[in-house]
Amino acid sequence: MNPTLTLMHGIPKRLGLSHSWVEEGGVHWLAPGSVSVRDVATMMNGLHARFITITAYQLPSDQGFRLEYHWDLDGQLLGFPFQPTGHSIESLYDLCEAVDWIEREIHEGFGIDFLGRDYEPLLLREGDTPGVNLREPVAVGNAVAAGSAVAVSNAVASGNAVASSKEKK
Amino acid sequence: MSYKIPMGPYHPALEEPYKLDLICDGETVQDAKLHIGFNFRGIEHLAETRNYVQVIALMERVCGICSNIHTLTLCRAMEGLTGLTPPPRAQYIRVIIAELERLHSHVLWAGIAAKLMGFKTMFMTCFELREKVMDVLQAISGNRVNYSMNRVGGVNRDIEDPQAIFKMVQALELEMGRTVIPIFTTSSTARSRCAGIGVLTTEKAISCGVVGPVARASGLPQDLRRAAPYAAYEEMKFDVPVQQDGDVRARLLVRALEIMESCKILRQALAKLPPGELCFGDGKFDFTKLIATTATARVEAPRGEVMYSVSWKEGSRNPTRVHVRTPTFAVMPAIRWMVVGQRLADTPLIQASIDPCYSCTDR
Repeated sequence: MNPTLTLMHGIPKRLGLSHSWVEEGGVHWLAPGSVSVRDVATMMNGLHARFITITAYQLPSDQGFRLEYHWDLDGQLLGFPFQPTGHSIESLYDLCEAVDWIEREIHEGFGIDFLGRDYEPLLLREGDTPGVNLREPVAVGNAVAAGSAVAVSNAVASGNAVASSKEKK
Repeated sequence: MSYKIPMGPYHPALEEPYKLDLICDGETVQDAKLHIGFNFRGIEHLAETRNYVQVIALMERVCGICSNIHTLTLCRAMEGLTGLTPPPRAQYIRVIIAELERLHSHVLWAGIAAKLMGFKTMFMTCFELREKVMDVLQAISGNRVNYSMNRVGGVNRDIEDPQAIFKMVQALELEMGRTVIPIFTTSSTARSRCAGIGVLTTEKAISCGVVGPVARASGLPQDLRRAAPYAAYEEMKFDVPVQQDGDVRARLLVRALEIMESCKILRQALAKLPPGELCFGDGKFDFTKLIATTATARVEAPRGEVMYSVSWKEGSRNPTRVHVRTPTFAVMPAIRWMVVGQRLADTPLIQASIDPCYSCTDR
């Protein structure tokens, strides 16, 4: 077997999982069970895998969020889905410098708190309160943009949302 | 005493707006802070309001240089949702357009690098060469920026005259080998401006997770065209240029050598362009019959790996989520480590050496 595939198929055992990878939509997925996101990252670092990104999904109704952590192992695209507890999950910043900007972006765009790190908001929302879910209704000027992230982004571009937020403070 | 010099968001050295706050001690940069978001258009959110045809046109506008790569990656992800495989001719045309785009992107960057080094004539030469590539892209697609070549299951337009592209490839190779590469590699001015400047060590490149030519210039031989081939890249023979020094010169050399490799790939793809259909079936994205609800695709853009994650609810006309990870988003944080300890006067060239695309980064 290809050495990368051998390495990849050894990952579930290393994490103490009894199930294996499921390939779907171009990604090899491994449900992490009770393994923490930091344990997965530590192991991936040990295998010299490259962190690619985190994709955040807001789930329907009150089911919260799903965060998909993508890693590259010699060309194999590996995915680990995690469901944060409430609005928070452990940060990987101290383990993997490459997560910095995407953790900050998700914090700003979805209001998810990555525990154990300091934030320096990206300019997108500089001057505003970081960590607000842009998909939720947000006060824009005198009106409420019901779940319209587009309206919010337009308002941010024109400075209305920032002004509105400062007025509230 | 240290002091702060803001560079940007609007600055002659920047191609697009972003901001670099440089903390300096005399002429030496001690630290740097990057600020992005000036081009934020909320495209990922907008995508959720577009149907399966409109979303392709929208994502083509993420970037003004590598527009084709965005539709290619999106279409590949959408093909993953439905299980469509484009026919062989379409796969070859995708390779040809992707390599033409790499050529004009790299030659554009060579021109900008020449300008920042003080080689105004070389800047003109590079832009003249780039114009030849743009002419070919315009002849194929009718457009110079947004080519609208990709669709789910194939491509929209054929390449009817491969011979005409051969001539452009030949002229480009000749001029690159005769003028551009020798000047960049042998000129003492180019060497003094680039060698040992803005170094990103292999260790730092790994920890920052950089991609594309920046990673390859720091000794990391990663290239998705080789590691995870897509379209017709598996049938192409080419080398992945890698340099070990990690400085501006290494990044310049990697891109220059990649121009020659792109020409090599174009020659093969044009010579072997198979006959057949341009699109699988009627090319419609059947959102009522999905084999997966989420699909991810990756492509090696001129600046490195682009990744699209697309989520689609069966029966819905619109995607429920489109997430784009662009190469500059991965590479830009490393600028901080490249400029520390460097002269203030070198920072425009150092930040330009990653060939940044802020539109891609902000989305």
